[in-house]
Amino acid sequence: MTVLEIKDVSIDFPTSRGVVHAVTDVSLSVPQGRRIGFIGESGSGKTTTALAAMRMLAAPGFVSAGEIHLNSLGKTDILKLNEEEMRRVRLRKIAYIPQGAMNSLNPVMRVEHQIWDGIIAHEGAVTQAELQRRSDAALEGVGLDPTIVGRLFPHELSGGMKQRVCIAIGVCLDPDLIIADEPTSALDVITQRHVMQTLREVQAKIGAGLILIGHDMGLMAQSVDDIAVLKKGELVEFGPTRQIIENPRHPYTKELISSVPLVGGESFLDPSAAPKAAGGDSATPLLELKGVSKRYGAVTALHPMSFRLDGAVPQIISIVGQSGSGKSTMGSLMLGFNAPSTGEVLFRGQDVYRQHAAEKLAFRKDVQAVFQDPYACFNPFYRVNHALKFPFERFGLSEGPDHTRAAMEDACRAVGLAPETVLNRYPHQLSGGQRQRLIVARALMLSPKLLIADEPVSMVDASLRATILKNIHDLKDQHGISILYITHDLATAYHVSDFVMVLYKGHVVEAGPPKEVIGDPQHAYTRLLIDSIPWPELDRDWGSADDARAALDKLAEVDRRPDTVYRGSVPGFELSQG
Amino acid sequence: MQTGAAAPETAAPDTAGLTKAQLRRMRRFDNPWRNPKLITGVSILLGIIALGLLGRLFWDMDLVFTGSGMPRQAPVGIENIRGQVGTLAHPLGTDVSGKDILALLIVGAPNSLYVGVLASVIGMSLGIFLGFTAGFVGGRTDDVIRVSSDVMITIPPLLILVVFQAAYGDITLTMMAMLIACFVWQSPTRLIRAQVLSMRESGYVQMARLSGASTGHIMFREMLPNLVPYLFGSFIANVTTSIVTAVGLEVLGLGPQRVPTLGRVIYDAINSGALIQNMWWWWGIPTILLALMFVGLLLINLGLDEVSNPRLRRL
Amino acid sequence: MGRIPVSYLINRLITFMLTVFIAATLIWIIPRLSPVDPVDVMLGRMAAGGGSIENSDAILTQLRQSFGLDQPMIVQYLLYLKNTLTFDFGLSTASFPTPVASLIGNALPWTLGLMFISLIVTFIIGNLLGALMVWENTPKIWKVAIPSAMVFTAIPPLLSGLLLMYVFATQLRWFPLTGAYGLNVEPGWDWDFIVSVLHHGFLPALSIVIVTFGFWALGMRGLMITVQGEDYSVLAKAKGLRPRYILYRYMIRNAILPQVTAFALQIGGLVAGQVLVERIFAYPGMGKLLYDAILDQDFPVIQGVSFVIILMTALAVFLVDLIYPLIDPRIRHEM
Repeated sequence: MTVLEIKDVSIDFPTSRGVVHAVTDVSLSVPQGRRIGFIGESGSGKTTTALAAMRMLAAPGFVSAGEIHLNSLGKTDILKLNEEEMRRVRLRKIAYIPQGAMNSLNPVMRVEHQIWDGIIAHEGAVTQAELQRRSDAALEGVGLDPTIVGRLFPHELSGGMKQRVCIAIGVCLDPDLIIADEPTSALDVITQRHVMQTLREVQAKIGAGLILIGHDMGLMAQSVDDIAVLKKGELVEFGPTRQIIENPRHPYTKELISSVPLVGGESFLDPSAAPKAAGGDSATPLLELKGVSKRYGAVTALHPMSFRLDGAVPQIISIVGQSGSGKSTMGSLMLGFNAPSTGEVLFRGQDVYRQHAAEKLAFRKDVQAVFQDPYACFNPFYRVNHALKFPFERFGLSEGPDHTRAAMEDACRAVGLAPETVLNRYPHQLSGGQRQRLIVARALMLSPKLLIADEPVSMVDASLRATILKNIHDLKDQHGISILYITHDLATAYHVSDFVMVLYKGHVVEAGPPKEVIGDPQHAYTRLLIDSIPWPELDRDWGSADDARAALDKLAEVDRRPDTVYRGSVPGFELSQG
Repeated sequence: MQTGAAAPETAAPDTAGLTKAQLRRMRRFDNPWRNPKLITGVSILLGIIALGLLGRLFWDMDLVFTGSGMPRQAPVGIENIRGQVGTLAHPLGTDVSGKDILALLIVGAPNSLYVGVLASVIGMSLGIFLGFTAGFVGGRTDDVIRVSSDVMITIPPLLILVVFQAAYGDITLTMMAMLIACFVWQSPTRLIRAQVLSMRESGYVQMARLSGASTGHIMFREMLPNLVPYLFGSFIANVTTSIVTAVGLEVLGLGPQRVPTLGRVIYDAINSGALIQNMWWWWGIPTILLALMFVGLLLINLGLDEVSNPRLRRL
Repeated sequence: MGRIPVSYLINRLITFMLTVFIAATLIWIIPRLSPVDPVDVMLGRMAAGGGSIENSDAILTQLRQSFGLDQPMIVQYLLYLKNTLTFDFGLSTASFPTPVASLIGNALPWTLGLMFISLIVTFIIGNLLGALMVWENTPKIWKVAIPSAMVFTAIPPLLSGLLLMYVFATQLRWFPLTGAYGLNVEPGWDWDFIVSVLHHGFLPALSIVIVTFGFWALGMRGLMITVQGEDYSVLAKAKGLRPRYILYRYMIRNAILPQVTAFALQIGGLVAGQVLVERIFAYPGMGKLLYDAILDQDFPVIQGVSFVIILMTALAVFLVDLIYPLIDPRIRHEM
């Protein structure tokens, strides 16, 4: 039985520059109890299509053609209901689980009240006891303790808990269809698995149809029955998951599948290029951390650790961890932004936090960074070339305006950008991928000795990630720059790095060459991380919600015994805890 | 490709099938400075300034003195309480002592604006300095600045100024502006401090630090340009506050005693029973002029808001 | 709704006390920086004014001692602080030998009554109208009418007071021109008196409300636009909640929080505006007392009134700060 049917729907957005056709002629139906994935990159129309079924398109957007039918409403077109009738459809017939788990709950209302008000809005007067019973059941259904969580305010919950509350709200009226809009995009992989499994479980229990919106082919493969691939507002391919994954017909689908980095398998990098020696002074190491730790008040972000990076032969050292692991703290310590609580950070034998002005400038020239958010890295007031030109001149590398321009243009070409189309633009006129590549170009121009790359691709569309990582990898191979690659993504770390450290709550739990640490993890935490990653492999068992819960319990065990498992070493890099 | 716009962007926008009027509205949307509120507000203020400047050329300024004309004259063509019809000699009438209202306005309006702008400029400079200091230096300095702006924002400037003037007697316009400036630095300080604190962590400031930028460069070249819309808004709001405070003092009979100001004219009018004698032109015209001035300032501020926050704009 | 963190309380209390202390100090220092010592002038005036009053010499001698004029400055200052904080502002020079405190005591209820109406009513009306400007279900006519009314909000209450007074008191004669109650009624808790008070208070209150609501409305509009875009408002709609419920419990409820903070910051300015309105309407509150004192150069009254108004303002701010954690559960974590 079909729950929802979308017939030839087109959606237009009138904007200041004319009408944007966000969705064109999309037809699709959702059978009862079946999970459909909508996949595509930003701007593909996947969310827009789903919101049209809720009649909740953002302000200027409207459905310009087509019909949407909900089976339980008979022959009526959803698009022809009046506001009050539509209100009654929402939540009761179609539930929506939003993307921004962090902000989706009303911050001034207790969790259980936010379940109650949904019930009251659709069923009128319900007794207090009945409300309590149903909110308790809904919270229990998503694995939350209703006696505790129900009385809390949203800010007292973790991201994963908030998202599970949103699921509880979504299913409390047993809807015909659940639309989940990237429900796990703000969560780390371990929580993602738990939330996704919870969602699948409750959906199966109430037998609703599910539309899962996402951009990650791996997650889709592990979670849905059918996949709809959207590109620029058009449905380019639709079929059962197995067929889409194993035998994709459309080139765009192939591209999406191949953009998911896998542990093992083929590398997207060219392995033949041999790194060129940096030719530094090998007696003093390039970077050395001696018993460095960082505390913020009572919280220890990073426990004492020491390492020594020679830098004679450029290497990529990956620091892998989830949010709160202390990996970004490490990055800012090494950049001289954030003095350590104990120990010292030495760059070429000099304490980074005890330099006078001239040394500081030399240090700045030699240590550069690429940050996570390419949108924030450019001052909106200036054209993007300001970010490249200013440090080049400041460090005295420029021999005049013509030289600066030539250097900027060369750097742009080296990262695959056409200089004439990007350099004179304002930041908002460029895409995230273009901006991030410009930041890499900037690092290239300054030819530092060390580059700290803090989550350089996590906010870039999947299809561009490989390109940017390749740009960064080239910095090592062709320009002799040592790189500290900070990431949450084990698969990319597997491919690019020479050495991997896995960080958990400020401890290094496992360290060694990537083939060992990620290819064959020994530490419980590393294993848990790798098991939690969704891959586009259908026969892999991603586990049930109970598995995910059991895994979280295992974490508690790790908390008690955060010892480092050493898995071998590479020449030129030494690590020790303490 | 992402352009940063809110609407999902796919194919090139299709401009066919839109009327000319719609296209014009769209273009206006694209150029935020062509904002009707902003333009109206600026025009009103320019008009008042023009009255002050051109008036001096075309009207006799000596008419602000007592006995310049027949007392209690109504504006031209209107009868006063004694049945005398106003003449062109005093187009806006005269007050109880024969001062010409038009001349008073020509001298008084620029004085009020002068006090407002000067106080606001000084207050803003203080605010920018303290806001940046608090945001950058942090620690104890930040605590002191934060607490003192919290404290000073609670104290109504009018009352401290009343105490001051009651003790000192007559003061000049510039003196009054400087005194008012002591009470209008708090809002910009708080605003700039908050902005600096959030900008310090922003990607582009981090990038500038990586580029070896000095603190001065970060403050003035990276941060300040992005603060301009806020500073502008805050400046205009401060001009309003300063004029309101100045007029308040004048209406209480304080402020400069020998220089004609709009507040002073209203004070004289109320004190001489202009309301009961139905001499509406005496207090009414300066009131309307001040009201216009405030409306102009508000419109500028609303316009600026819309320029810097596109969500307030409507297509 | 949960307990208020102690550190937050202490923090606000310190700010409150500091405000009062600084205000008191400024009021003391400023006159002493002036070339003529106002205390001398003051005592001189009192002596002149007290010529016809029995015992005036004795009173003055005692007063000289209480000012500690023969003592060093620091002792004078400490004495002043002690007197001020116990609401002993000395004697009025204009109506010698009435204590300033009793003059203030008579005026204060009128000011507080007007203040309650002008602050609270304006806050409620302003925020509601501001919210309606953004709400998608607001009737079209309101969306046109509210922004047009907004233009008047630029005008300070002083000027709107003058205009209202002219139209409704001198021309239409619907309301009395000045005063707080008619000459024909006796103060007391009877019907005639209350009607008279309301009749007299209407114009002063209206002249404040009519022009200050817009400040709140504008702020609320901006906040509502932000809240409207928040994920929780989107989810509220997706839950099929009734529009009116979303407006009150999701949108206004969240947008009002920064407005309450702004309220605390604006009280000072609003009270000053009210002082001027009282002066225009000769309303027998603190504003009129202040104005009369300025005319008579009655320095103790000026000092006392200024201090009490600042104290009231600081107290109001403190109260708002106390209420804030009760309406925003997140404050516990930020402190």
